[in-house]
Amino acid sequence: MDSIKKGNRIKDESKAANMLIGIFMLAVIFITLYPLYYVFILSVSDPIEAATMKVFLYPKGLYFRAYKIILKDQNIWRSFGYTIFYVLTGTFLTIFTSTTTGYVLSSPHLRGKKWVTIFLLVPMYFSGGTIPSFLLISKLHLYNTVWALVFTSSFNIMYMIYVRSYFYSIPEEMREAAKIEGAGNFKIFRQIYLPLAMPVIAVIAIYTIVNIWNSWYNSMVYQPNTDIQPLQMYLRRVLIEQTVDLTKTGSMAEMEALARTRLSTSQLKYSMIIFTTVPVIIVYPFFQKHFVKGVMLGSVKG
Amino acid sequence: MKKTKQSTRGKISKSERRENLELYIFLLPSLLLVFIFAYVPLYGLLIAFQDYAPGNPFFSLSGEVNWVGLKHFERFFNSIYFSRLFSNTLSLSLYNLIFGFPIPILFAVLLNEIKSNKFKKVIQTSSYLPYFISTVVVAGMVLSFLQTDGLFNILTEAFGGTKRKFITDPNYFSRIYVITNIWKSFGFNSILYLSAITSVDQAQYESAKIDGANRLRLMQYITLPNIKPTIAITLVMSIGAVLSSNTDLILLLYTPATYEKADVFGSYIYRIGINGGEFSYTTAITLISSILNFVLLFLGNKFAKKTFGQGLW
Repeated sequence: MDSIKKGNRIKDESKAANMLIGIFMLAVIFITLYPLYYVFILSVSDPIEAATMKVFLYPKGLYFRAYKIILKDQNIWRSFGYTIFYVLTGTFLTIFTSTTTGYVLSSPHLRGKKWVTIFLLVPMYFSGGTIPSFLLISKLHLYNTVWALVFTSSFNIMYMIYVRSYFYSIPEEMREAAKIEGAGNFKIFRQIYLPLAMPVIAVIAIYTIVNIWNSWYNSMVYQPNTDIQPLQMYLRRVLIEQTVDLTKTGSMAEMEALARTRLSTSQLKYSMIIFTTVPVIIVYPFFQKHFVKGVMLGSVKG
Repeated sequence: MKKTKQSTRGKISKSERRENLELYIFLLPSLLLVFIFAYVPLYGLLIAFQDYAPGNPFFSLSGEVNWVGLKHFERFFNSIYFSRLFSNTLSLSLYNLIFGFPIPILFAVLLNEIKSNKFKKVIQTSSYLPYFISTVVVAGMVLSFLQTDGLFNILTEAFGGTKRKFITDPNYFSRIYVITNIWKSFGFNSILYLSAITSVDQAQYESAKIDGANRLRLMQYITLPNIKPTIAITLVMSIGAVLSSNTDLILLLYTPATYEKADVFGSYIYRIGINGGEFSYTTAITLISSILNFVLLFLGNKFAKKTFGQGLW
């Protein structure tokens, strides 16, 4: 009798706890998603309603003019193009440097491995920082060129070490057997190790893509020329410094039409936030799995 | 292993030499890039002891370089900026640590209690999302919500308060910074704990349940002790990073009106160094902050060893 009562009590407590945790988690979902949703509904609401910012649950009116203006803005497309360029080159070079270095470090025949490892570990703990790097870029005549960003995002020592650890798990007999068959290091690397490394390459690629896509600090320091800056720098000028007035991108007639509809700069900003974040949200579900893997990779090393 | 090493120490066979040549050709691009873009700036730190003018070499013993000893260090220590930057950096990071550190742990522990896998997945997906949204966009949203006629002031007024100047009032800066940081990263930071929790041996839970332990007890006596090592390591890392605050976010959120509370080493170095052209002076500040950082990492490790019995080294 008693034990049944006790069992029931625990069950009731458990139910209440489940409820509480469930409500807590719903609140978490709300807090993480609502800000973006709020920006979205403001961006498509009627300009007069949007100007009051009092649009909370669903768009009031439906209005896509802001998006039309943004799609016509040359600056967005150009900076978007540069971002793609920086992402592609940076990711390719990072994968190249991580896999080749990882391959060599995992080879038992490498002489001076200790020195190479120390050479790579030192910069992980000590760095010259912004100013000496900036002066170096100037000395190399890379200042204000696209190459300043390409080179500075071409390697990541942490990733070299991830790949090395990954290659350690491949049985050494494989390398030896291929060598007996007469294959050189280049062939072994390309035909055996690289295909096997695909899971870790995917993780590195995705981290690099996201990092370069979101980065702006290096461009701010190395590239004063706004023509070659990536998308995030353009966003910064629009959203943070507010030195770009999006309402003035069209012709005279268009501007007058805009003034009549009272389309505000803030609404244009909201549309821009949504427009530039949508690509991230679309690819995010595909990336998520790899990101979780990446965290594990980091923790194994740490 | 050892034997082959010894036998080849005297003379390197032809095939081994060839092999090493190949391997070093593979390494060459990485070694070159690391040397140029990581070591040369490190060497460039020498300008902290000079009056560097653009075009000068980083090091030279002939008259080209004007060595000034510790002049820039003295100037920094004697200015109001040393104490201001140090206390701002430290307090922003400490708030961030105190509030931002436990949240991912709590979140992971509670998430583990969710029985429905579908619901769990939805929570994870939405809580990791802010981590991937660019800092510029996040800061843009924050600034817009905090405008005088923005969302937060509308809510403040609706609850009977008066409008506030969140963005230009220095007293709000630390709160804005910390909350934004937590919002952006708590989900992502919870991944590590969550994986540690899921690797706990389920038999431990089963036997405790038979002994009549309720869920709170299970969390307290099984889940938390099992993730203690993970907590310890993350804590040391966070303490070691206390002086390298999120400069990106600060540069985006601060305004001249909030400098007194928002300016940190990184933002000051950027403003005075890159915009102001005081290369040697700001490089001296870089050196000082790196040394302080190292000391903190050392102390943090000691602290973790004492309280958790585990540290980085």
